[in-house]
Formats: sequence, C-alpha cells, structure tokens
Amino acid sequence: MALFLPYLPSERIIRAHGPPDHPFALTAKIRGAMVIMAADRQAVALGLGPGMKLADARARVPDLLAFDHDPLADADLLSRLAEACERYTPMVAVDPPHALILDITGAAHLHKNEEKLAQDAEDRLDAAGYSACWALAGTPDAALALARHGLKEGAEAQLPVSALAMDAKVHQALERAGLYKIGDLAERPRANLAARFGMELTVRLDRILGIEDRPIDPLRRIGNVITERRFAEPLTHIDAALACLSDLFAEASERLNERGQGARMIRMMLFRCDGDVARLGLETGAPTRDAALFKRLLRERIEALNDALNPGFGYDLIRLSIVSSEVLAPQQLRLEGGEDRQGDEVALLSQLSTRLGRERVQKFVAADSHIPEQGLLALPALNAPAPVPWERLSCDNPPMRPLHMFDPPQRVQVIAEVPDGPPYRFTWRRKTHQVIRYEGPERIASEWWQRKDGQQPGNGGLTRDYYRVEDARGRRYWLFRHGLYGEEKANPDWYVHGLFA
Amino acid sequence: MPSVSLPTAMESLDPAVLFYKLEHIMNNIDSDQDRAERPASANPSAVASATAAKPSVLRARLAKILATSGVSTAEDDGQPSHFTLGVDRIDTGLRGNAGADGLPRAALHELHAVEKADWTSAAAMALLWAQRCRNLGREERPILWISESGEARRLGRLYPPGLAELGIDPSGLIHVDAPDSIAVLRAAADGVRSSAIGAVIIELSGKRPKGLDLTATRRLSLSSQKSGVLSLLLRSGSDADNPLPTAAFSRWQVAAGPSSPLEANAPGHPVFDISLLRHRSGLYGLSARMEWNRDDQIFREPQGTPNIGAVPALSAVRTNHQGTRAA
Repeated sequence: MALFLPYLPSERIIRAHGPPDHPFALTAKIRGAMVIMAADRQAVALGLGPGMKLADARARVPDLLAFDHDPLADADLLSRLAEACERYTPMVAVDPPHALILDITGAAHLHKNEEKLAQDAEDRLDAAGYSACWALAGTPDAALALARHGLKEGAEAQLPVSALAMDAKVHQALERAGLYKIGDLAERPRANLAARFGMELTVRLDRILGIEDRPIDPLRRIGNVITERRFAEPLTHIDAALACLSDLFAEASERLNERGQGARMIRMMLFRCDGDVARLGLETGAPTRDAALFKRLLRERIEALNDALNPGFGYDLIRLSIVSSEVLAPQQLRLEGGEDRQGDEVALLSQLSTRLGRERVQKFVAADSHIPEQGLLALPALNAPAPVPWERLSCDNPPMRPLHMFDPPQRVQVIAEVPDGPPYRFTWRRKTHQVIRYEGPERIASEWWQRKDGQQPGNGGLTRDYYRVEDARGRRYWLFRHGLYGEEKANPDWYVHGLFA
Repeated sequence: MPSVSLPTAMESLDPAVLFYKLEHIMNNIDSDQDRAERPASANPSAVASATAAKPSVLRARLAKILATSGVSTAEDDGQPSHFTLGVDRIDTGLRGNAGADGLPRAALHELHAVEKADWTSAAAMALLWAQRCRNLGREERPILWISESGEARRLGRLYPPGLAELGIDPSGLIHVDAPDSIAVLRAAADGVRSSAIGAVIIELSGKRPKGLDLTATRRLSLSSQKSGVLSLLLRSGSDADNPLPTAAFSRWQVAAGPSSPLEANAPGHPVFDISLLRHRSGLYGLSARMEWNRDDQIFREPQGTPNIGAVPALSAVRTNHQGTRAA
C-alpha cells in the first residue's frame, strides 16, 4: 500500500502557523531567483506549481504569501508519520519526498480488509490535518505510481509514461513515439524498448506492472518476536501501561524460551489514540528472559526519561518487540549453592546502563596506537569485547604512564637550562614547581602516515618529547615539549599531559 | 549466628554441653540487661570492670544486637575478612580489637587527598587497596569506579595504560561516569549490593557533595557488610578541619611522597604518605610512608626513611586528630 501526501510541506506550515488568509507557496533560492518548491491547495488550484519563479507567480496572484522551504523539516515530519503508521504494520518505508509505503501483507485482516485499513489510515491522517491519496497494489512501485496519480488498484495501464520516473527526455521520446500510457508500453516487445531506452526502463515498467517485485527498506528492523495488545478503551494510566508491558514481555519470553533464546534489545511502542507514538528501548548486557530484571530495567528507563510519559487521551495499542536476541541455554544452578556471579554482573551493568545511558558505563580496551591519548578505547560495558590482557611497557621500572590524563593537554610555562633540554622549573595553574628529578626524553613521533603528504619533511606533524618529572613536594608529572627545538619549531610549547601516582 | 567467634570456640563440644552453655549465656544476658536498665550505670568504670570479667557475655550481647539490627556479616566464602597493606607496622597497628591484621574487607573506608594536587595519589591508593583486596579471592572480580562527569576535565581522567603500569588490569575495571553526585551515590549503592563486584570506588570532590551524608554512607557501609564488597570513598577538596561526618569504618589522608631516586636521578616508584584520621576501634596517629611494589603487589616502606614522625607534613596532620576524634 502506498500513501501519497501531495500537500505535505504546505500542511506542515498550516499546522505550525494556522491557516493563512491567502494562498501561499514555499520558496527556495535557486541560482539567484526565488523559485516555488511547493504550493498549498489554493495556490495549486490557481495554477501555480513547483518550478515557477515567485515573481511570475506574484504577477498572476498578487496576494500570494511565501514561506521558506525546509526539506529537512518535511523529511522529519514524514518519518514521524511513518512511525505513526507502524500501528498497521511494522514494515513501513519512507519514500521521499512525500510518500510512505506500507507492506500490509498479512496485516489487513485486523481491519477486516485492505480497503478498510487504507481508509482508516486516510481518516487518521485527515484528522491530523494531512490530505493523502492511497493505492493498493502488488508491488511498492505500482502502489506508489497509482497513489501519485490518484488511481486505484488495477488501473496501471491508465498511468501516463511519466509514472516511470525516468528522465524528462525519455518521457518526451516515448510520447513522440505515440506511447502515452503505461498500457501502450506494456504491449510492446521488451527487447525493442530495452534496445532504445536501456534496461532501466523495462525494469521500471515490470515493477509498475507487478511483474517484478522490489523489497522495501523498512524504517526499523522488525523484531524477532512481536507481542501487542489493542484496547477498545484507551489506557490512560501509566501503571496500567507498564503492567501491560510486563505481561507482553512475559509472553515474548515464553516464545523466546521455546527457541532457546534470550532478549538483548527490546523495543516498546505506545501508540496514543491521537497519533503520537512513545518509544522506549531497553538493552541488556546478556540475553535474558528474566521478567523481574525486565521490570527493574523498565522502571529505570522510565525514571531516566527526560520528558515523562504522557498518556494524554490514552494508549490504544501497546507493542513490544524483541529486536535482537541471542542464544540462552537453560541454566543449571550449582548443586552446592552459591550465586550466579556472571549473571549478577550483567544485571548490574544493564541496570546502570539503563539508568545513566549506555555510553556512561564503560570498559576499557587497548587501541592500536602509540599516541598516548589514542591508545585506549572506552566502550560501552554492555557490548565490550572479551578482555584482552594489556601490554605493560616497562618491567621492574616505575610506571611510565600516568594514572590521570588531561585530554587535551594543559599548557605550562617551562624554564629549561637549554632549549632542547629537560625542564628546570615549570608553572602550571599559577603555581611554580621546581623539578627535582626527571627522566627523559621519551620521544613520541606523530602518526605522519595519517596526514596528507606526511612523508614530506615538515608535513608529518610535531614530535613530542616526554619527560617524567618530580617536583620538590614529591608529585610526579608527565610533561612534553611539542615539537623538536630548531627543527620543527622555533619556540616549542610545553604541556602537562598527565599525573603520576 | 553471625561471625562472632562464639560458635567456633564451641565447635568441638558435645551438643548437649553446647546447649547447656548457650542457655547459661542467654540467662546471663537477660540478667545483664536487667542490670543495665537499672540506673546503677552511674559509675561506668565499675560496669566496665564487671563486664570485662565475662567476655563471653559481651560476645553474646554483641551477637544479639547484631541479630536484631538485621546486619549479617559478609558471607563466608573462604576469603579472609581483612586485607593488609604489607607494611607490618601499619597492619599490626590496625589490629585493634578485631583480632586480625589490616582493614576489614566488608566495610566503607574513606580516603582524602590532602590537597587537590594529591588527588592522583589518593586515587592510586584507592585502586591499590582494591587490588590488594581482589588478590585475596580466588577469582578476580571487577572494580567498579564511579566518578562524577565534569570533574575529568579539571582533575584529569583515568588513563588505563597507567593503571596497567601500576599492576592493575584495566580490563577488570568498570567505569561509571555519573552526571551528578546523587547519581554517583545511587550507582554506588547498586554496585555495593552486587556480589559480582570486587570493590567499589566512589569518587566525589568538593566540600559538601550533594547527597553525601550520614544516611548515605551508613547505607553504603551496611550493604558492604552484607555483600562483602570493599567500598572506598575517595574525596578531594574536603574540609580538613571539619570533615563531613560519615559512617565510614576508617578515614585516611593521602599525599604524594618524594620517591627514592633511581639511576641518573630519575623519579622512582610511587610513594605515598598516608595517615589515619579516624577508625571505628578508636585507633589514631598511625602514619607511614609507603612505596608500591608492583611486581609483588605489595606496599613497602621505602629504604632509607629513618623516622616518619619527623616529616613536617604528617605532624601537621596529627594536630587535627583531637578534632576528628571528638567528631
């Protein structure tokens, strides 16, 4: 099924500013001229349309209003509408700029038949202030072409050749040959058409005629397991909705249990009866079927929401889908008792990640770089790889790397006895430190191969000379001189990069 | 019955004898309570001498108090209940009346950086304690490090290769970057309760972090007792003269110490000056200079340090003991 929203940009303006008194158009500046990109229903009725210059249009309709064309806002609105359409089927694709494609195979019986479903979609869009044309067809391209031209199923032959959406030149050439309708083309032998206009034309023709199918690219991955509840009377209480989610999870985990799997990523959607959709996502550190853990995580998630769930007029459909699942064999507790440590750790990580956000709970992994600040990766603990032992730089030496690092390094003023020698005294955060002991330099070159023309002298970036120094109070610092004196820089700067224990 | 040495002392006894003894003790407790309720406690030394005569009674009383307060001590998983630092003078000095050297594992300890610049030393000390504690167990459980975001820019962020250089495997560390101090404490409460974690380090800076009070620390230390997870509260920028009251088992002050130089006057192994400010058993005045030996995973007193008490920074520390003890 395809939904075509011909007046989407102008209806977005109407929704935002209220209906204006005069016809209006959305314009953008193209090569120095204001050009109409979209027009509202009245303006179109007056004969204005996309591609016309604003000055010409004003000459015909003097009281034409003009707004800025904002394709990003339109795309945003379209994807929100697509989300709202997920109530009919999880397979919803966006076809920019103004159309949605719904794969309603197997979903139509919920609304008795396909026409009723489509009519329901149109009614809901109409109530929200958007006019839409719909069409049903066996393939997405056929449905789209029909919807764009306001035709219904079975009228493919009536479509003009421009429905092929090829070049204007191709359309012109076809019309010159006397082929005005898709029906005319369908009768022609394909080989001749392909020889004259290329394979693409015949492929598009087959798709419109329903001979060849094209998979659509849905907005979201469909879950492995989907459970949902529809309510005759909308749920207006959050607690009832949450209880319903717990029930749905129990149902889903039963089905996962049959497959020997556990949920890793759970997505929940609460469809409000006025078209708004609230989405919640949960991620666990390990596959789970534990309803208690789910409840705890759900509570954390709700608490962590920036704007609390607002049931408004109530939810009339709640859906829970397990987006990603992994093998989870039934576990046997140890006979001698004792708790499940691995499970406990995962539960803790899931809980903290849900409450604070997955980026805030990290594990560290070594990265393959000798530049100190790039030598590590902080990955979300939920899907960190298996631990790899860290390489230790020194043996029987004091630590060569600091415990705390400043990123970016902090500038210090350094006095050195010779310009390319070790620091003698340095000032950091308005305090002067006398260097008592030092070790260095440890010379760390920049990654010249990452730079453009890095192999040429002078393009490879600055070399750092690191010194481990200790001041009179026993504090140890990691200082570096940025650039080799005289060779790379006349007056190299000094920085403190870290602090040792 | 919790980990009071009473049942262990009687393990070898005949059950009938055991029962008789228990009954006897219970009777004693009751009479003891009666005595305590009488206003005769005007002379505390007399009561003390009377009860000192009967240590078994005291133990039974303690057991009863513990049982009613709902506090159970750490599960007995074959691990020692205390961890040591490796410096004998400190470890035996910490024995107190616990009967074991070192510090209890299932408790909350506080580490204060003397100055902001000692922050790294205090952080290292917390990590090394956690590491010492982790080495006690058979399996290495992760260390949960909880910090407040925003501090990283000012104080520097934890650098895992540096951790590896201290002898702590960075892959055994879980770092939680909480948005504020309340979230830090909440995450800590969850971490301390989990048996999967080896140690929890809670990093809070500022004079009075929001949410850090007696209740919060009491909750942490109770959970710690229950789960056996070492919890360390790492503080910087705290008011040295008037520290926040907390329910921590012990409070320490950490500063960086001058290292013993290596060849060519290079800075040596990390050296710390620590001093005990407060302890549940009333100990105080302990201070030491300790050097971390990574290869043996132990603290040692650096060679050639004659008398620690002579270090001026530490004598300054000692003067404020009176205040902290009173608090």
